[in-house]
Amino acid sequence: MTTLQRRVIQAGALAMIALACFSEVKFTNLPGGGVVWELSPDWYGALVYIVPGSSFVLAGLIAWSLRPRNRVGLLMMGVGVGLLTGDALLQHSVGRVSRPAEVLLDFVSPLWAVVLIHLLLAFPGGRLVSRLDRVVVRSFYAVVPLAALLAVVAGYPGGLGRISQPVFDIEVPAAGSIYLACLVIGSALVIRRWFLGGHARRRSMSPVFWPMVPITVFFVLATAAVLGGSFTVLATVFPLLLVALPVGCLIGLLRSELDMSSVGDLVVKLSGGLAPEQLQPALAQALHDPSLEVAYWLPAQEWFADLEGRRIDLPTGDSERAVSVLGDPASPVAALVFDSSLVDEGQLIDTAAAAVHLALQNARLQVQLRAQLEEVRQSRARLVEAADSERQRVERDLHDGAQQQLVTLLLSLQDTKTEAMRRSDPETATLIDANIVALKEALGELRELARGIHPTILTQAGLVPAIRSLTERCPIPVEVTGELGDARLAPPLEAALYFVVSEAITNAVKYSKGRRMCVSLGRSSGLAVVEVSDDGVGGADLSVGSGLRGLTDRVAAVGGRLIIRSDHTGGTTIHAEVPCA
Amino acid sequence: MRVIVADDSVLFREGLTRVLESGGFEVVGQASNADELDRLVASANASLVILDIRMPPTQTDEGLVAAKRIRRQHPEIGVLMLSQYVESHHALDLLGQSPDRVGYLLKDRFADLDEFLDAVRRVGNGGSAVDPLVVSQLLGRKRAHDLIEDLTSRERSVLALMAEGRSNDAIASALKISPKTLEAHIGTIYSKLGLEPAGGDHRRVLAVLNYLRSS
Repeated sequence: MTTLQRRVIQAGALAMIALACFSEVKFTNLPGGGVVWELSPDWYGALVYIVPGSSFVLAGLIAWSLRPRNRVGLLMMGVGVGLLTGDALLQHSVGRVSRPAEVLLDFVSPLWAVVLIHLLLAFPGGRLVSRLDRVVVRSFYAVVPLAALLAVVAGYPGGLGRISQPVFDIEVPAAGSIYLACLVIGSALVIRRWFLGGHARRRSMSPVFWPMVPITVFFVLATAAVLGGSFTVLATVFPLLLVALPVGCLIGLLRSELDMSSVGDLVVKLSGGLAPEQLQPALAQALHDPSLEVAYWLPAQEWFADLEGRRIDLPTGDSERAVSVLGDPASPVAALVFDSSLVDEGQLIDTAAAAVHLALQNARLQVQLRAQLEEVRQSRARLVEAADSERQRVERDLHDGAQQQLVTLLLSLQDTKTEAMRRSDPETATLIDANIVALKEALGELRELARGIHPTILTQAGLVPAIRSLTERCPIPVEVTGELGDARLAPPLEAALYFVVSEAITNAVKYSKGRRMCVSLGRSSGLAVVEVSDDGVGGADLSVGSGLRGLTDRVAAVGGRLIIRSDHTGGTTIHAEVPCA
Repeated sequence: MRVIVADDSVLFREGLTRVLESGGFEVVGQASNADELDRLVASANASLVILDIRMPPTQTDEGLVAAKRIRRQHPEIGVLMLSQYVESHHALDLLGQSPDRVGYLLKDRFADLDEFLDAVRRVGNGGSAVDPLVVSQLLGRKRAHDLIEDLTSRERSVLALMAEGRSNDAIASALKISPKTLEAHIGTIYSKLGLEPAGGDHRRVLAVLNYLRSS
């Protein structure tokens, strides 16, 4: 909009006020020259329309110059002009306006109430956010002039929109009912917007929402009074109450100017140093939107994430949530997700974002690091799980393949031996016997090999029987104490703890020179604990050999930790704990 | 004696069937999974089931579950469980409260056919058979205060054979000693280990195994 257009609109709006005021003044040319003026006899009645109309226009002009790109100012002026034309002009200047102009005004003036609903639904941003609001408001703009046409055709010259009889025309009930229905639906939408909105929305709507409550009450009372046939004080007071609305609008808009001071507080907080997890609450406080979220851009994943590295999908399109992306759009730093009522506080958001830019960048690096760490953790867990299932598969292949075939061969050799005996061939039978013994040894070795790869008792019976089985084979006495509860642990946890015990026992037998060992089990508050201790010479070291190192990795892969205490006086204790359900 | 054989390998079932038949048993049915086995048990009027601990579909412990179910539902049918591995945990699990008509052996035991057939016969006739490997592992297990150490080697042999489920006659003839000497040994073992005498021949299996397994 060019400056000239703006000036024209501003001048036109002021002219409307002047025109409305002058229409209440009667000028008389004195015979002897000169002019005297007097107020029209019911000038006080005219104030009832001129005061709210003018205040809407004037407040609208102020709002428009404060926020030139925000439609709120124009909408306020629209309400004001509607009020001024609808009543001041028509009621008191009949005869001073041409008939075509009067008919035109019949259509335009009732629109003030529609523009008011539009204003309330769009406040403070100036745009209708919800699709429903847009559809309904558009249809009002079409329906209300039609209702006015209905009134004109029915022969009532005043049309609609007389706030002194408040709004609807007793003589044309059809048109009046349509108009009234529009007002009721519009009010319902405003109330809906209030109740659906979050804290930020209500805060911004409150300067216009609360004045609407007494206005509506007086509207209903005044309507009842006029319908009852008497012009009461109520009918006069009701329009004057409307003045609260333009004032509320201005307060609402001015308040966001004051909100800038909260950004100042934010800067002070930042200079004191804010931890990444304090950024979001600080921003939410500065922007008066507790629902505000900070989403950090992860370049590697090409998505936004919260502080914990969890993915956040930004809201798109028609939504109650709005987004402001900070930094270069091709590789942003972060995005703020907030209530859409803040959209028009562009400057406020930009200022706050500029203040936290550096801190956000730091936090983003931290999030990136956490996300990478999480990814590495998961991939490590997957690797261990894959290795475990591979071991299980190899064991199964051996069991179903080689071991089963050898056992079957054993049976078949027995068969052959029986046959040789039947044919009285003891020499062959003796040869077969030698083969049977060799085969039995092979089976024994194969069994130990398969057992080392993956003990079937672990899958068949669980961790505790598997540990007991280990201790039964151990050449040093091992005492098993404690319990792990009835419910079995998840297979990766069982495998991790089993191999800890197995490796710890093997190490103790090989190096500790201890005379006894103890395996203690425990499970409490989401933690399964296994501890293997011996009374040997100690000196176990994570850095020597890969056995203990591998165990540490294995336990860490399932989110647990391994602690090794080993000194030359108290033997070695290997403590493993894993988080469990 | 009427026997049912259950294992998911047909070659193994055939081999085992031939061995059993040559040993004088009558194989009245073969099953490749637990469902088939249940149907056969219900219909074939067998006195003994020989089954693998691992069976389809998961190849973990379906056989053990089936064995315990048969023991519960048909206490008159003997159950001999075979496995590529033996675990004392499974042995005691299968024996449960009573050691009657139950056995648990390594598949390798076919290497000594007479012993294997003897074990089958024992289970079929109401006795029990615990794999010598289970027993030797438990016996060889080191304990903090080990009363087993106080036993003579002869007494230990007697204890092992008792734990396998052998009868007094079988033990006496295996060790080539007289029944009277054997009974003297058993008395000494009980008093050295502090065990209560546990009645008949094979009833003592449980007491001995439990003793060996406790710490």
